[in-house]
Amino acid sequence: MSADLIRDEELPFGNPLGQRVRRWTRRREVRGVLMLWVVLTVLLVLFSFVPARIMGVPASPTKQAVEDTMTVFTLAASPVAALVWAVAIYSVIGWRQRGPGPPTEDGPAIRNHGLTTVLWVGLSSVLCLFLLIWGIAETQAVASSSTGPLVVNVTGQQWVWTFSYPRQGDIETDQLYLPVNQPVVFHVKSDDVVHSFWVVQMGIKVDANPGQVTQATVTPTRLGTFDVRCAELCGLLHADMETSVHVVSAQDFQSWLRSNGTGG
Amino acid sequence: MSEAVMQHGAIAPPTGGRLMRRLNLGTAVAGGLVGGYLFWLVAHHFLQTDEPNTSDQVVTLTLLGWAIGFLVGIGAFHGPWSWLMGHDQSHEDETFLAGKEQGIGRYFRFTTDHKVVGIQYLVITMFLLAVGGTLAMMIRTNLIRPDSGFLSPQTYNAVVGLHGLTMIIATIIMVTGPFGNFIVPIMIGARDMAFPRLNALSLWLLVAFVPVLFSAAFLGGIPTGWSGYAPLSDQAPPGMDAYLMAIIIFAVSSAIAGANITTTILSMRARGMTWNRTPIFVWGTMASVGLAIPAFPMFMASMVLLGVDRTVEGQFYVASGGGSPWLYANLFWLMGHPEVYVIVLPAVAAIMELTPVFARKPIFNYNAAVLAIVGIVGLSIMVWAHHMYASGWAPDLNGSFMLTTELISIPTGVLFLVLIGTIWRGRIWTTLPMMATYAVLWNFIIGGVTGIYLSDVPADYDLHGSLFVTAHFHYTLMGAGLTGAIGALAYWFPKMTGRTLNARAGFTSFWLVQIGFNVTFLGMFAAGLAGQPRRVVHYDSVFGAANLVSSVGAYVIGLGMLVLLYAVVSSWRHGATAPANPWGAKTLEWTVPNPIPLANFEVLPVVIADPYGYGEGDGPLFVPLPPSREDDEAETPDGGGRAGKHAVLAGPDAPRIVKEEES
Repeated sequence: MSADLIRDEELPFGNPLGQRVRRWTRRREVRGVLMLWVVLTVLLVLFSFVPARIMGVPASPTKQAVEDTMTVFTLAASPVAALVWAVAIYSVIGWRQRGPGPPTEDGPAIRNHGLTTVLWVGLSSVLCLFLLIWGIAETQAVASSSTGPLVVNVTGQQWVWTFSYPRQGDIETDQLYLPVNQPVVFHVKSDDVVHSFWVVQMGIKVDANPGQVTQATVTPTRLGTFDVRCAELCGLLHADMETSVHVVSAQDFQSWLRSNGTGG
Repeated sequence: MSEAVMQHGAIAPPTGGRLMRRLNLGTAVAGGLVGGYLFWLVAHHFLQTDEPNTSDQVVTLTLLGWAIGFLVGIGAFHGPWSWLMGHDQSHEDETFLAGKEQGIGRYFRFTTDHKVVGIQYLVITMFLLAVGGTLAMMIRTNLIRPDSGFLSPQTYNAVVGLHGLTMIIATIIMVTGPFGNFIVPIMIGARDMAFPRLNALSLWLLVAFVPVLFSAAFLGGIPTGWSGYAPLSDQAPPGMDAYLMAIIIFAVSSAIAGANITTTILSMRARGMTWNRTPIFVWGTMASVGLAIPAFPMFMASMVLLGVDRTVEGQFYVASGGGSPWLYANLFWLMGHPEVYVIVLPAVAAIMELTPVFARKPIFNYNAAVLAIVGIVGLSIMVWAHHMYASGWAPDLNGSFMLTTELISIPTGVLFLVLIGTIWRGRIWTTLPMMATYAVLWNFIIGGVTGIYLSDVPADYDLHGSLFVTAHFHYTLMGAGLTGAIGALAYWFPKMTGRTLNARAGFTSFWLVQIGFNVTFLGMFAAGLAGQPRRVVHYDSVFGAANLVSSVGAYVIGLGMLVLLYAVVSSWRHGATAPANPWGAKTLEWTVPNPIPLANFEVLPVVIADPYGYGEGDGPLFVPLPPSREDDEAETPDGGGRAGKHAVLAGPDAPRIVKEEES
């Protein structure tokens, strides 16, 4: 017999779960919350692209990966945040008891709902697993892009950065020059306190520690001048401990090397 | 003198208690000054003056002398001393120490009554928040324009460090101090804490701590931020010595308070208050102070090593001397990450406690709430190195710390489920405490989601050390933590003060603070994403708009906090008398009359149901304990603790209980 002849409530048996879901979605508060949830989710999904916009045009695949992460994580969190806020907002509109005194009657004594708890914990576990896999894959991708790199030694001291190119005749400079599309590995150390070497538009950061050499790898992919800042409070002039990184073409880099020292 | 005092004097014992009765905050300050001066004299006289460390040695010893002298002056050692001299304190001594019939004076003495200690904690918390907030206003004023020049770099760094540390301490104590001390013992049906004298000691250590902390401002400041990273802290001025002495004093105070509150909850719940019937706020408090017990000794140890570095060239953190800055960072964050849950858990637990009352529904899935709290406690001690992804220390471990960190999102998500499940189809009564629930639902989601970005290793490589991090932890510690604490204050204010909180001023403050808060820190998120580092005194003009927004928001918060201060002070003094149970709540603290008698309960209760039976009829939740059983120390069959302890406070007619533990 055809399904549309008999309304689902009247079905004597068969598909009870579907029936229950349908009956549940006809409840006023469920519809209200669902509607709010959809609206808020859409708003949050639209908002998900804002953080990457604020972070600016990436100057390396690393920064691109970070901006993608921000977008994807915000997208993933959107339905969850939207659900919490939808219930909260609906409760003020739909379930609020007006008047100065306490509500005259109590709400329904719902102490638990097993299915809801299982679904909630299950879905948040799946989300968590997704975030973890995403993060590990991203870490691998970022780490694996270092074949035949240009080596740059970075030294932090209160309150300047110094860069040197050990394989290009140890040229020293206080403004970083990098050839575009060539992987670079930074060997970072400090002469005094802990600093943190941050190339903002390339999305890399590693602390400069006294007595240790730390590493960071990146491939600049965009021509231009970008910012190097110190990201670890290092004393009086911490705010002034910044300089520029110039990403130039390979030819320009060679001529810069020639004009600055013996190497080439 | 009134007759009561005369009578009191008449029954005072001839030995022991005379001196104790004359000690108060005044003698404590005098004692502290004398102690500090004596230590300064000795240090100054005997230490070589041509060594570079001399000023550190002198400052450290002087501050130590202050703390010892202060504790002597307040009478903290009176009990142990008289015990050593062979006479224990008499019943009259005990009731004096408990503050019986002493009016306002008992707030300025070494008073053991947990209700007095709770109020003292509340006042200290408000004081620290006010100072920390003022410092925050200075920071935001300086950052209102890219190059405002309002503060010099040196002053700015000192202000940032002092703001951070003051607020961290204030937020650590803001829930478990006032409410853990005042409310929890009544909530579990006890007459006082397990160790009342230790309770007073933890409080007065905290009072001794406050001037030590702020002395840093006059000793060159704390130029390292509150995190005090080495070796910058090794080269810092003597303000750093004040920092490390303050942390050591605070660590002792919090260890004592933690042991005391944990013991109280474990062993003194009313008969019949099984773990399944224990209010969720009690769980949250125990989780917080229990977590503090392993966490703060790490901080203390890191400070002891720093003290050795600074005073006698220990080189623990100096790479050229064989030490390692990573040692400090690890010790610090072994404390530092559990610490954020020490702050947030009791605040969220307070929110979970009051939400059922204003939704008129049982708490949703109590067992899951308990498990989530326990799960967070367990995970929180395994995530510390996510603060060190970019430090270069053990990069191969970053993946595993990312795993543990992201796992925390599961129990944290359960806390949200509990809250929205409790609200679901409730009868929502939008009082000020309930509004705090909504604010926490909003702020804590933002704080939590931004925390997930930062748990991701590559994203953290970019965002670490930027204002994004600053905004994130303000969303958790202030947006969830402080908002939860304000909700708790609004909720328990009628019980703690016997007065009704001015609702209009309260709501005005609520909206100012919450709107200002979101404006401030959404602006700060934007500045951080765009690339502005933390703790900079001036910045590139590209961050100008975000910082302007942030500063304007901060002023709105400041205004809102002033309104809250007005609401609290004026209601406390002139507010309408509150009924014993204005919210119609079902936990034990609402069964005692206002003002609360010294011994809390005339007759101790036996709990026969959990306190969340909204919508399940008006059956009794408690029955009175037969008086003859009050001194029965045996464990009850259903797991309740030794409720009869401290029946000594019930008055001369009550049976005297000064039994020793059988062992």
